[in-house]
Amino acid sequence: MNITQLLFWLLTVIAIGSALMIVTSKNPVYSVLGLIVTFFAISGHYILMNAQFLAIVNIIVYAGAIMVLFLFVIMLMNLSRATETLKNKWLQIVGAIAGSCLFLVLIAALKNTEIKKNLVEMGTGDIGLVKSLGRELFTTFVVPFEISSVLFLSAMIGAVVIGKKE
Amino acid sequence: MNNVLDIVYWIPLLPLLGCIINGLGRKNLSKGAIGFIGSGVILASFVLSLWVFFQVRGGNVHTAEYFPFINVGNLKIPFAFQIDQLSAIWLLIITGIGFLIHVYSVSYMHEEKPVHFGRYFAYLNLFVFSMLLLVMGANFVIMFIGWEGVGLCSYLLIGFWFKKKEYSKAANKAFIMNRVGDLAFLIALFMLIHKLGTTTFSEIFTSASLAKLSGKEMTTITLLLFVGATGKSAQIPLYTWLPDAMAGPTPVSALIHAATMVTAGVYMIARANLMFAMAPATLNVIAIIGIATALLAATIALKQNDIKKVLAYSTVSQLGYMFLALGSGAYVAAVFHVMTHAFFKALLFLGSGSVIHAMGGEQDMRKMGGLSRYMKITNITFLLGCLAIAGIPGFSGFFSKDEILAGAFAKSPVLYALGLFGALLTAFYMFRLYVTTFKGTFRGTDEQKHHLHESPAAITIPLVILAVLSVIGGFVGVPEFIAHGAHALSGFLQPVFKEAYAVLPKHEVEHSTEWGLAGLSSVLVILTVIIAWARFSKKPDLQAATGFGKILENKWYIDELYQGVIVKPLNMLGSFLSNVVDKKVVDGLVNGVGRLVRYGGRQLRWLQSGQTGSYILMMVLGMVLIFIVQFFLRK
Amino acid sequence: MNAVLLSGLLGVVMMFASFLFRTKAPVRILAILGMAVLLVANVLDTKGIHFFHVNTTGFLSFTGYALFFNTIVIACTLIFFLISSKDMQKVGNHYAEYFALIFFILTGIFLVTAFTNLLILFIGIEIISIPLYILTGSAKKDLKSNEAALKYFLMGAFSTGVMLMGIALIYGATGTFDITKMNIAGLLKSNLLTAGMLMLLFSMCFKVSIAPFHFWTPDVYDGAPNVFTSFMATIVKVGIFVGFLHLFYTAFDAIALQWKIWMAVLAALTLLVGNITAVFQQSVKRMLAYSSISQAGFMLFALVAMNETAHEGLLLYAIAYCLATIGVFGIISKMTDYSFDGFNGLAGHQPLVALCVAIFMLSLAGIPLSAGFLAKFYMLKAVIQAGGYMWLVIFGVLMAAVSAYYYFRVIQAMYFKEGPNHFSGISAFEKCVLVGICVLIVFTGLFPNIIFGWMYF
Repeated sequence: MNITQLLFWLLTVIAIGSALMIVTSKNPVYSVLGLIVTFFAISGHYILMNAQFLAIVNIIVYAGAIMVLFLFVIMLMNLSRATETLKNKWLQIVGAIAGSCLFLVLIAALKNTEIKKNLVEMGTGDIGLVKSLGRELFTTFVVPFEISSVLFLSAMIGAVVIGKKE
Repeated sequence: MNNVLDIVYWIPLLPLLGCIINGLGRKNLSKGAIGFIGSGVILASFVLSLWVFFQVRGGNVHTAEYFPFINVGNLKIPFAFQIDQLSAIWLLIITGIGFLIHVYSVSYMHEEKPVHFGRYFAYLNLFVFSMLLLVMGANFVIMFIGWEGVGLCSYLLIGFWFKKKEYSKAANKAFIMNRVGDLAFLIALFMLIHKLGTTTFSEIFTSASLAKLSGKEMTTITLLLFVGATGKSAQIPLYTWLPDAMAGPTPVSALIHAATMVTAGVYMIARANLMFAMAPATLNVIAIIGIATALLAATIALKQNDIKKVLAYSTVSQLGYMFLALGSGAYVAAVFHVMTHAFFKALLFLGSGSVIHAMGGEQDMRKMGGLSRYMKITNITFLLGCLAIAGIPGFSGFFSKDEILAGAFAKSPVLYALGLFGALLTAFYMFRLYVTTFKGTFRGTDEQKHHLHESPAAITIPLVILAVLSVIGGFVGVPEFIAHGAHALSGFLQPVFKEAYAVLPKHEVEHSTEWGLAGLSSVLVILTVIIAWARFSKKPDLQAATGFGKILENKWYIDELYQGVIVKPLNMLGSFLSNVVDKKVVDGLVNGVGRLVRYGGRQLRWLQSGQTGSYILMMVLGMVLIFIVQFFLRK
Repeated sequence: MNAVLLSGLLGVVMMFASFLFRTKAPVRILAILGMAVLLVANVLDTKGIHFFHVNTTGFLSFTGYALFFNTIVIACTLIFFLISSKDMQKVGNHYAEYFALIFFILTGIFLVTAFTNLLILFIGIEIISIPLYILTGSAKKDLKSNEAALKYFLMGAFSTGVMLMGIALIYGATGTFDITKMNIAGLLKSNLLTAGMLMLLFSMCFKVSIAPFHFWTPDVYDGAPNVFTSFMATIVKVGIFVGFLHLFYTAFDAIALQWKIWMAVLAALTLLVGNITAVFQQSVKRMLAYSSISQAGFMLFALVAMNETAHEGLLLYAIAYCLATIGVFGIISKMTDYSFDGFNGLAGHQPLVALCVAIFMLSLAGIPLSAGFLAKFYMLKAVIQAGGYMWLVIFGVLMAAVSAYYYFRVIQAMYFKEGPNHFSGISAFEKCVLVGICVLIVFTGLFPNIIFGWMYF
């Protein structure tokens, strides 16, 4: 087991652990913190795949901007346990069982599957670099790239419609 | 390609135009104009139908194709009308009797507000249009369009006086029962498309095409078609809507629920005669259901006190006779009986309408009596109608019923005996009705007595015309054993049924036997009439029924049976699904979305309680199930 | 391509319209004009006149079918604007923005009908979904609307996650996002592909409300403002359906054995759930929500059949279902009481409106001579042609009969009962539009071949 593999497993454990923390934690602040840790771990994975740009963007946008926003909102709204509604125990249990079933079924079905080719290029390749990413985005992927602008525009309008006072 | 009959599209188009004009102009047109337009278009259609009839008699049989209606792959369904002997006869019945009933309605519905008057005529014209579509269609799809159309119009007209709640209930019942029949029709239609790839009559009903169907398939398809027919033609088990349908205005009962729409099932089977002839099992079922319906309805009619209810059960019973004829393979007899029945039953209904009109809306015949003194024309025409339906020799009903009984005898003497018994019951209850209504002393209130009068000419003229037809209408079908070659109808229809007759097993009945049968039934019927007359003119049947009579009065409790066996369990299943599954299982998991939707704001705090969670849970469970089946159980 | 770019641009124009105009009338006229321009542009595109020459690098391909379908979508939206745009004023202050969002949704629909790459499918679905979440919650003072929006958003996000997972698995199995280059014939035994395909199936089923992924539908349709329910229950739903058909027809035809049975089972389940529950509703609006589920079950027949007839049938279904439902909602938005009792005696107060509602209901129930009958007929015929699913055909016919019950309840209430007037009035112009829709329904029911003739010449 070389250092890359070691790092991979370490990051994976952190990512899954903190993701579990998001859903199990009773305090929303802890949930958000867990989410931030998850994002960092995933960024670590990106770096392992030599996708530095994605890693940085992930941290800046998600862990940096969005998560901080979440934290502020939660702190300003002062959500404490008193305002938290009762959750149905039974539903939680059934939900957990159903989720695990889905997980198990998928694992069982996919465990022996063959991957078409070695898609992940660990430690090699320059696909994830800013330069090649940029070239791809503005040549091959220019149509979806430009069309995404409509998506963001509609989200912006939505923010205005929902947020502005009547 | 060009044929003078190509213009037959005007026959249904005219009533449609009448419907549109009356429907749109019902607020602006005067009653006179509405009545004139409504009746005028039907008269024009009738004249055209007459012309068509003579064309067909001259040997001009034609299928007029107008435009491709549906083209899906190999399936081509043109919008086409088929004009042959069978449809020509129905055209005459529909437009002819339709016209008389329209004229009658002008007077009968005169007290309605102009808006409702216009609405009524629009519906009535629309009905005639749909009915014409039904009989003229050259394939099952066009026929189905008409089939649904007449159902819809019947629904609208039964509920015409919607202010009474039970009336709209009756409309619902008719509609739902008809839907059950339509469903079977549609499934048969799809099976035909599936197996033969066509719905056009001329392509299906050839020996070569039908040879592609196995015996089992043939039986299934014909049985499904027959179920469709039982819905529309009120046979067991789907007959209970027809008596309730009497909630509609009386002319509607005469036109739709006696003369035309209810014979649609007979028409369909007559149209598909070759296919039914090749499915002997289905024919047996039809014969048995037919005779059972005829007897059941006749026994119920014995104890009804509502004048229209008696006629309604009588209609069901007579329809049973038509199906008995179809099931016995006596197709001509069935068509013949449709025709004569249209005459005398329309007459009887219109006559009862005239009576109800004079009685100020009273339908209970226990409160009538002695009306013959006040309403001379109605009395005589009604009597003629009763004689015709009872089957007194010389009247139209005699010829057609006799032919059916002869056909039944050829199939099985048991069917004949039961049929004869039914005929005696018919004579009995009809004369109970006649004597109770028109003879004896008047039993209504003084106010009603003061009001009694003969109806105006617009009502009596149709009565007289129909009475004449009821008397002489039978002479188009004088049986072979009386005069050789005198059965004009049989000769006319021969091209339609000849292939089927070739397929059916032949049971020749000796002419002497036929004489004997006809003589026997005539004597028995006349005796029954005399007995009924003697009994009810002395002492009208007024007191409450007891014992077995009570069961008959309550229609063998069939409605209650359906209510208990079908409607209640369905309701329970429905409320189970909507209350328990929908609310308890789904919503109940998380304290109720249903409540949240209902109480809105008050329960907003429940918003975060995670109903969404339960929805997602259901989705995940669905996914898990599909995954498990896909990966571990299939293959 | 004309329509995609133009509708995006028109969305931007509408965005600024609220700055340009102080009153609402010009905004509405601008939107209607914009939609008309879009219609013309798309028809020209069909005829080979392209305004924009864009190298889509193999991400989009506008087939004749897709373009024709887009024409239907635009025409239906135009009709929707004509009849309902005034009622949108009642929802809230952001009048121009609502139009902008609708234009963006149309962009999404055009993408979904013409994609050749799963990436575009995903973007298209999101462009449709996000504005819908907002439109659902646009009645900000109405708690039901807020709740519906949040619910829709949470569940929509879940289904988006499922879809992305599916796309990732498919990429893992085939190594490409391009649905024309997947070569799945060589991957018949790949569990990875099957799992991915099923996940795509689930998420698409969610979007078109197929049971058991339909739970959001009644709540969301009931909670959203009437005008937007009308839009999302009709145009959006059929739009995604065409994408659904396109995806499975193009990408997964080689493994049809794996999923066809699921389509049939889900179609039957959807018909059952939708119809039986609709029978027991007291509110016409909620009844229509369930009826839209059952209609979706019928549309799913197209994916069971997967042949030429199914394609034609889906077009016909789109026309029949959209026209009738838009018409009914156009009238419901003008009612003060949405329950069945609210319709009591409408025939007496508003004979013309009642007649139109009756025609819409007849078409939805699939009564002959209406577009709805032919649509159902084509669907059933398609499945018969495909063979092997006769049970589904019979079940479909059965359920169509059940559906007549609740549609006729409305007719019954209008014609056979009496009650106070709950109708708030309608302008002469809107009446004309209603009559126009009725004429279209009957015309389509009588001459479907003219529509298909138009499609193929």
